[in-house]
Amino acid sequence: MPAELIALDHQYVLNFAGRCLARADGAARHDYGQYGDAGDSRSRACEGWRFPLIDSYRDAARPEIGARSNRVTFVYAHQGDARPPIAVIGTFATLFEPLPLEPVTFVGEPTAYVALSVLVPKGQVHRYKLLVDGVPVLDPVNPQRVTTADGEAWSRFFTELTTQPLVLSRRELLLLTRLTDHILPFRTTEGQRFLQYFYSGADRQAKDTQYARAYRLDQPVGVVNFIDKLLAREENHHAIDYRLCLAQIDAILSRRHPTIDVAAIPKESFIDLYGQLASGSIDGWDYASYREPQYFLKLLRRHTYTGAFSHPRHGGNVGAVAWAYLESTFRDDANASCFAWQRALEPPLGDNAAYVG
Amino acid sequence: MAEPTSFDVVIIGSGAGGAPIAHQLVLAGKNVLVLEKGPLLRTQDETADGRSDFRRDELLSTGAEKRITLDGVANRGAAYYSSHVEPDINDEPHVYRTASGDDKATIEGYTAQVVGGGTQLYGGVSYRFTERDFRLQSANAGRPLRDDPNGDVAREARDWPFTYADLEEFYVQAETLIGLNGQVAGQIKHFSKDSYQPPLRPNPISAHVEAGMDALGMTRYRTPLAVITRDHEPSGRRGPLPAAGPDTGETAKTAFVNRYGDPLGFKSSTYVALLRPILSRPNFALRPNCVVTHLECTGRTVSKVHYLDPSGTPRVAAGKVVVVACSAIESVRLLKLSAAADPAFDAAINQDGNGILGGYFLTHCFGGASALVDAPARYDKSLTLDSDWSSDHCATDEFLEANQLWAGAALYNNTSDRALPLALGRNYQSRDLDTVWDGFTGEARLTGEALVGFLGDHFGRGLSMTFMANQVPLKSNRIELHPTVKDKWGRAAAYIIKGWHPHDVAAMTTFAQVCRDVLWHGGVRKDLGAGGVYGNDDLARCANHVLGGARFGTDPRDSVLDGDCKAWGFDNLYVTDGSCMPTSGGGNPTLTIEANAFRVARQLKERI
Repeated sequence: MPAELIALDHQYVLNFAGRCLARADGAARHDYGQYGDAGDSRSRACEGWRFPLIDSYRDAARPEIGARSNRVTFVYAHQGDARPPIAVIGTFATLFEPLPLEPVTFVGEPTAYVALSVLVPKGQVHRYKLLVDGVPVLDPVNPQRVTTADGEAWSRFFTELTTQPLVLSRRELLLLTRLTDHILPFRTTEGQRFLQYFYSGADRQAKDTQYARAYRLDQPVGVVNFIDKLLAREENHHAIDYRLCLAQIDAILSRRHPTIDVAAIPKESFIDLYGQLASGSIDGWDYASYREPQYFLKLLRRHTYTGAFSHPRHGGNVGAVAWAYLESTFRDDANASCFAWQRALEPPLGDNAAYVG
Repeated sequence: MAEPTSFDVVIIGSGAGGAPIAHQLVLAGKNVLVLEKGPLLRTQDETADGRSDFRRDELLSTGAEKRITLDGVANRGAAYYSSHVEPDINDEPHVYRTASGDDKATIEGYTAQVVGGGTQLYGGVSYRFTERDFRLQSANAGRPLRDDPNGDVAREARDWPFTYADLEEFYVQAETLIGLNGQVAGQIKHFSKDSYQPPLRPNPISAHVEAGMDALGMTRYRTPLAVITRDHEPSGRRGPLPAAGPDTGETAKTAFVNRYGDPLGFKSSTYVALLRPILSRPNFALRPNCVVTHLECTGRTVSKVHYLDPSGTPRVAAGKVVVVACSAIESVRLLKLSAAADPAFDAAINQDGNGILGGYFLTHCFGGASALVDAPARYDKSLTLDSDWSSDHCATDEFLEANQLWAGAALYNNTSDRALPLALGRNYQSRDLDTVWDGFTGEARLTGEALVGFLGDHFGRGLSMTFMANQVPLKSNRIELHPTVKDKWGRAAAYIIKGWHPHDVAAMTTFAQVCRDVLWHGGVRKDLGAGGVYGNDDLARCANHVLGGARFGTDPRDSVLDGDCKAWGFDNLYVTDGSCMPTSGGGNPTLTIEANAFRVARQLKERI
């Protein structure tokens, strides 16, 4: 399907390019161990994960398009004086038609940057390559890369509300669901009751527009999805922590429950394991492989809490369920709401008449 | 046509120190260029699709984890979480020296790199300083002061080169043009004119502070805040809805205020209040995403401003007058980098080699008290501005006399703190921006029912009082260039060396106790704690109030700038951000920086 191009906002591109891409030195200032190679161009970009820029889109004349699409802006920074033509090709459009990036100007003059904005539906994952003078290359700043079955490497991006797992395996997702369940309030008796009410009580339209596509019974508030997306993009450097620690946890639980599937392991066993992670003393943990299990637990706690209570656009807090939980659970002495989160936020999530998100 | 490179005035920085000058000189018909390192983030009514570059999203104010990768700092590998408009520490580090002599990179001490500077992210608390704040040397001559056996305070304090009375008309001008809400009655400062818009209704949780202050006999007033509650004619902004009736302007309330830019433009940043109204004028050029690298001089004239455009391409601009206003640490750094690149500039800015440039760096003595209201009371803190009640009780001569303190403090309650769910978790037990998340992630017991208990105790129940007080000026508190750590352009990073004088500790202890008393008498006693920022680990803390380092005065041997903010050694170089302050003032400094910039603007209008 041809991509719908949208007008390029030059100031918008420069705002990110100036901060993230412009620099004089070639130092690997942004490699926290995730790239491993000092020569990797991605280690030079600050917050390279922002590229391509994924943002909300609004079209007053076509409100439904804005509600279900993201503005995706590809940016390329020329190095040196050469200005070869740059184009992008990817699964978000037809794979046979390169889309040229256009020069970004500053005070009416060309800059080192070229860019292109397209509309891409929410909830999608795409691979792409840049064409530098017709030669396909990986995006030099985007940390997300995938290799297809035929062994070919591509750059990747995903839009908001994507639920397809990108980093974690099915088994890792399952383990993580059990662990995050233990941290969050939603498996308490009251929490369960609230979730039941929330999901069964919401009107049909809200279900469709807000969280239907992300709704998974085994992930009550989408936290595991949030973590998967965080590890794919912003905190890609922590994917290794999850890989190593979830493998150890899997092995330990399998030894403790050799005949039971992960999904059926009793809650108490996860509680025990959690306590051992907190103490740092876990029978069967391979400390040579991962020295500080407490560090992993801290990471998991931060990610879990963040995923539960951040804006749903980041992949967790499905349909703002966690905010609704706070509003419903923590009332004042007259049982009135103490968290009018809808008042601040954009429709359809919130009901602020002025703010569009 | 080539873009012009010569202007009447080139202003470096678009925040509180720079924007007022741009505004006034553009209206006076002068050709003005403003260079801003950060992006131009627009409100909803400015973009093609009607969406702001700012968002109400807690992951924008404190983003994903990053790690410090700098060589030569003791906290290499430490996590940090910056907002979308704070510079990246790895790209543009600020390094401070710890009490144990280590160097650490810190996120504290940045305002914001964005058009509008720190006024985009601030909570908007906009005090005038007191009359005494301008004459702390003469006010303390011969006075016995606590924990000051060597008389350091009287020796190091300086009167400002002008008085409160001299600045008062510019306070009025700033209050009018920026757009504040507040209340004059109850303040100890003299107002020739009340320019405040009406304040909104206080958040109900602030009734505890009201009660506490009343029980202690403290005169209180509604905190002046840079948020418009009505249409604001000078900047052409429409006020928040509804526009009439008992709820006028109430929709301006949101906990997305402190550390958030305002997508709707109600918060009075210098961008929406001063720069946006002049943006279309042909004699004004605003260039965001441009980093000034150094100034070049010819004799006593700054002849060229060297900067890098958004691509990193070197460019040059020239102005009859050059104004440096990129926040104290960065302004001092720019002057020092210029001196390092050019011996002539060095000789002119460091006149007599007196070591004043970079010296007498100041933040504020600040701290306060915090507690939880008792069940079953709970409040919706998401409908709020940053503060409701203030008091000048601790700035009166009687209080300072009784407590043997050299200078007073503004006291105010916070209403937007811990109001949003992520902030509640990540700020739990954190001391500053360098330690967010540490408390919550380290308290592993908070799971399931215990997490419900934590949320139940804290959500809508946290209440805190803050004091903001003068820090004793010491030459040893300094901004220098770091000998080894460089930014992404290869320029030396800012190096912050500072500590607290024992009298600062005495002042902070005293003010913290008063804050504690307010909460106690307001019936807020659960988990009540109080203190100031004087622990050994807290040297980096500064409430993002960075001041001093290029102070003005009446004696070239004792100051960098003259009373008009002009560098003594130059004919056309002005520094107008907080770095000009010889004392830090007993209150949040933004309004005074703005008022002083309007004062300098008047001088410049006559001069150019």
